[in-house]
Amino acid sequence: MGGLIESTDQTMFLDPAIRNWVLFPITVIMVLVGVFRHQLTILMTGQPAKPDIKEIRQGKALMRGHTLAQNNSYIPTAAFIERKKYLCQAYEDGTYLKDKTSKEKSPTDLMADPKNMEAMMDGMKKQMMGIIPQTLIMGWIQFFFSGFILIKLPFPLGLRFKQMLQSGIMTPNMDVRWVSSISWYFINLFGLRGVFALLLGGENSADGTRDMTAMSTMGAMGQQPGQPQDFNKQFLGMKDNLSIIYHEWDLENIEQRVLVKYGKQARIFKSTRK
Amino acid sequence: MSSSLKLLGEIRQSSERRPFEVLKLAEPLLNKGSIAQAGDEVWLVYEQVFLAAIDEGQIDVAKAVLEILHNRFGEESQRVKRLYGLVSEATGHPEDAKRLYDDMLEKDATNVLANKRLIALLKSQGQYVQAIQELVSYLDTHGNDFEAWLELTHLYLDQHLYSQAAFCIEEVILQQPANHYFHLCYAEISYTMGNLDVALKEYLRVVELSTDNVRGFYGVKLTADRILDITSSRGSGKSKGPSHLKVENAPQKAMLERLSQLAAERLLAIYSGSGDAMKKTLEEWLKL
Repeated sequence: MGGLIESTDQTMFLDPAIRNWVLFPITVIMVLVGVFRHQLTILMTGQPAKPDIKEIRQGKALMRGHTLAQNNSYIPTAAFIERKKYLCQAYEDGTYLKDKTSKEKSPTDLMADPKNMEAMMDGMKKQMMGIIPQTLIMGWIQFFFSGFILIKLPFPLGLRFKQMLQSGIMTPNMDVRWVSSISWYFINLFGLRGVFALLLGGENSADGTRDMTAMSTMGAMGQQPGQPQDFNKQFLGMKDNLSIIYHEWDLENIEQRVLVKYGKQARIFKSTRK
Repeated sequence: MSSSLKLLGEIRQSSERRPFEVLKLAEPLLNKGSIAQAGDEVWLVYEQVFLAAIDEGQIDVAKAVLEILHNRFGEESQRVKRLYGLVSEATGHPEDAKRLYDDMLEKDATNVLANKRLIALLKSQGQYVQAIQELVSYLDTHGNDFEAWLELTHLYLDQHLYSQAAFCIEEVILQQPANHYFHLCYAEISYTMGNLDVALKEYLRVVELSTDNVRGFYGVKLTADRILDITSSRGSGKSKGPSHLKVENAPQKAMLERLSQLAAERLLAIYSGSGDAMKKTLEEWLKL
């Protein structure tokens, strides 16, 4: 019996018991689980690993190279060349490396480094904290609360959503606006962010949407979280950066700029003679 | 009460030291116990009061506040330990303080607070060479702390080690290129060393960044005139002026004269609103 699906407003009366025993419980459970998750994350997150002095030195040495590359035009050429020579030599020799013997390190060695292990474990633990409750709740809802309509959405949706939002019920004619409990779960997922922000303060770990983005980026990048950095490579890269810089002192034509600024000259003349 | 707390907070934000005001504001808070209104901020206020009391020499107040902080944060807190060091320094027991800082650094070489306090202690005792050594080793690790580089610049200047000071102030400029004060410092160091060409350009940078900067314009006039003097005398064969003065990269004579004239004009304009005595002094100076 093909034909047009009627677009008249379908009114159905839902048993108020549904409201009491499904709508509210799902929300309450989600809030509780969120708060619980937040507290648990606080307990489980160890202290961030305290960098030791050699690591700090290593990191800051890289920053020096970066600052030099960025702001090189503000110091005279001689000063720049002096620093460039020193830093390039130091990067090549590995003077600033935490562990001088480790210039040739393979990725597996880097991962074996205990500090990096801890950082990666921490990251993975956090992700587990996010994924498990979500999976559990979804499973629980599917098991207990499937096969009936829960709410009517106030806005219309396309037919594609029918499969997802009315998963337990096989009715080809019913308006997509009548949805099952799993969609209420999704609505809560996004909506409770505001509630959690109120209850737990801005930076809280009860937010479900963050886990979703984390999952999608993990899939996209396919990279382990907290991959240890290979400083030797970075130093050599910075050395290359520095060696190709053509230094132009910002103050070459400062005389003309000042004259123009104070109105003694109309504009700057680009000439080779000073 | 909360207005005093707000004011104290503002003073903390601007990192000014206003010991007298801080103590005056904090005294009623502490005596009446209404400091509890501050909530978690209360510990920051205590630290601020402690530093003010030390500055003003009110050691008993400082010790009382320190007692409160100790009870809250315990023996092992780095910040509290450093305050103990400060008390030792203030009561004239620098050796105790030094022992404490050395101990803290042994336990944790990355402790910035203890490191800086140690350097300050050495400086206050006049042990400039050690202070410089400690600061240099601190900067070997923390190369991006421009305030430390600035401190080292001043230490070197005190020792009249101008080329080292110039290196340090260059590091500062590298990290803070838009701050005209650092360029001014660099200009004056260069002038003192005899690098007149660099000095002139840096003075010009100062007046570019900071319109009508008096010190900047004084510098421009002085340097430009001096370069003119030297190049004219060198050109004419007479060896006037010490030979170490570098003027190779300086602008041509015409440009120098224009700059000198601009500087004179701006100085007169700046002082046009001041009294006659000032103006006369300026005119006399300009004639030189």
